[in-house]
Amino acid sequence: MKRLSRIAATTALALTTTLSALSVSAETLTFVSWQKDDPSFGAWWDEVIAEFEATHEGVDIEMTRVARNEYATSMFTMFAGAAPPDIVHLAAFEYQPFAAEGWLEPLDPYIAESGLDLTGWAGQATCEWDGNTSCLMLLYAGYVMAYNEALLADAGVTTPPTDWESFLAAARAATKDTDGDGVTDKFGVGMPTKGASSVMHGILNFVLGAGGDWTVDGKPTFDSEGTIEGLRRWKQLFDEGLTPRDLGTSDMRQLHIEGHIAMLLDGPWVRGVQKRAAEDMLPNLKLAKTPFSPPVGGTSNVLAIPSDISDERKNLVWDFIQIAASEKYQQRFSAISSSPAPRPGLDYSAEIAAEPYFELIAEQANAAAAAGVDRLPRGLEIEFPEVGKIVLQEVQRMLIEDIDPAVTGKTIQERVLAIKK
Amino acid sequence: MIDFSAPKNRKTFGYLLLAPAVILMAAIIVYPILLSVDVSLQDVRIARIGEDAKPRTLDNYRWLFGSHEFWRAGWVTAKMVFFVGGTALVIGLATAMLVNQRFKGRAAARLFVALPWAVPEVVATVVWAWMLDSSFGVINWGLLQVGLIDQPIQFASDANAAFFAVCFVMIWKGYPLMSIMLLAGLQSIPEEQYQAAKVDGAGPFQRFWYVTIPNLMPVIGVTLVMTTLWVFRDFAIIHVLTEGGPLGATTSLSIMTYEQSFSFFRMGQGAAVGVVTLIICAFISRALVGRFANSPH
Repeated sequence: MKRLSRIAATTALALTTTLSALSVSAETLTFVSWQKDDPSFGAWWDEVIAEFEATHEGVDIEMTRVARNEYATSMFTMFAGAAPPDIVHLAAFEYQPFAAEGWLEPLDPYIAESGLDLTGWAGQATCEWDGNTSCLMLLYAGYVMAYNEALLADAGVTTPPTDWESFLAAARAATKDTDGDGVTDKFGVGMPTKGASSVMHGILNFVLGAGGDWTVDGKPTFDSEGTIEGLRRWKQLFDEGLTPRDLGTSDMRQLHIEGHIAMLLDGPWVRGVQKRAAEDMLPNLKLAKTPFSPPVGGTSNVLAIPSDISDERKNLVWDFIQIAASEKYQQRFSAISSSPAPRPGLDYSAEIAAEPYFELIAEQANAAAAAGVDRLPRGLEIEFPEVGKIVLQEVQRMLIEDIDPAVTGKTIQERVLAIKK
Repeated sequence: MIDFSAPKNRKTFGYLLLAPAVILMAAIIVYPILLSVDVSLQDVRIARIGEDAKPRTLDNYRWLFGSHEFWRAGWVTAKMVFFVGGTALVIGLATAMLVNQRFKGRAAARLFVALPWAVPEVVATVVWAWMLDSSFGVINWGLLQVGLIDQPIQFASDANAAFFAVCFVMIWKGYPLMSIMLLAGLQSIPEEQYQAAKVDGAGPFQRFWYVTIPNLMPVIGVTLVMTTLWVFRDFAIIHVLTEGGPLGATTSLSIMTYEQSFSFFRMGQGAAVGVVTLIICAFISRALVGRFANSPH
């Protein structure tokens, strides 16, 4: 009997403790992101979440990681099943179908009420959809050139290339079979051929450098002179075997930090990848301006509120967004990610002192923004996945069947116009 | 109150016992199928549970049957089914007969034969993707070293190489099921039949052809149906290795369903591809099961 009483008392105590804990954490906001546990962005999210929880007693944020390559599908499934996460985090090039379905709450009333000033906020125009502000832009970045100084020096290239001709010459010089087994093991450049958006972003470097673009004023221009010249330059790298084939962006980054690829055109996040290289390799890995002007640039990821949740939860999510957009956390964003934050007017002197490439990264972002560059072709936002597939198929055909880039450009233009009808 | 012990109520009792399983199956199998059919009959980019249905239309099926991509995906799937199914059957039967013999190390050999089946599909495919890489893959390196090729094979950018690379990985992953099923079939063949055939003067090939094969026919039928359905619905191997490329050379019906639904956000069209795939699978299953179930044995 005594034992029974003891068990009953222990159970009652455990229940009371659990229930009191539940009453304190009465509300939990769900947050899905591919950046959870990311070495740089993940740390920033942790700080923002900690600040939110500290200032909102009884409200917790439950952050869950979903891998980047299945992210859009997972979010789409959650929204379609009428169970979206409370805090919506999406890539800037994939939020449009969600906004078009009316799944994202217009933020304009919240912005007006809170007085958040988004003037000069980098890339924020991309968040305008159908006359509403559908999201808050979290990053606008310009591309840089990651390079291996030792590989270039071994090839007789002492300074990073500054235009197409010097880039091609450096790529030719750095491509080698160093162990004499008949297989090239050092490549001058790494261009992904897997993943439609990665391939489009890669080609865009050459297209912009040749004076072209995917769209002009929202109209497809895949058959313009500059775009065709860009395709021709990209094709030349493959024709001459200056880049590995059949690999995706992350494979290229890995090969770069292992010393197999001399030059890589990528976003500023490539610096974070370089820092993961082996100790003896790291001093060789550097950043420079891309040899092409203007550089590829573009919006990266956004925060939004789902329209399905209760007004009370929407207000909480807006509070979260405000913390992320505050001067303090925008400054922390720059410090942690080594990238300029979208909020204008921040003082970057500490970041520049901590990261020698910070100025270069900011300069490239400004150059891309000044030229109005966005990786996401304007006017093709909703059709982007299909356009990406068309471009991927046609450039693959161009490489495999050795098709004239002018023909490829024309074919892409016709196919894109057909889906626009 | 119904007396279930009474003979007249036994049937009702039986139905009552079956009811939970039937209801569960209806909920998790029939309902999604009906939902897919419903979505396929709507002009909808993104379907959402609980929202009012749009007017019914056959537009998605008109698009489907007029689409070059659909016919190509159907042809690619058919080629995969024949090639993977046929080759896996031959290898599966050969390995099953091998490990059915008595020899030292038979247990280890059986384990070795079944090993690819035990490796998670995505993990195995990622490993193969690296091994088949055209610039740094060990397979190209090996072929170059032994002089079988003088240029690396572009497994992901040559349409034929990509197709056979996908089929090869599918066969590697799929033959152990064949082998295990056929081994079970081989062990169920009465030894007396072989002894009687020997007495009648039948040689090894005749015993294989007139005793083993007819006895195995029902197992072969079921296994072929399972392999066919597996190839039809397999997504991970193709998606990881080639993403359906190059130029659609490995875009099967399952890849096309995924692409339309989740990449292009055209759920109506994706559901139409899925429904047609389901109907094709149902016909093939019925035909194969019927054919082999009525085998001479």
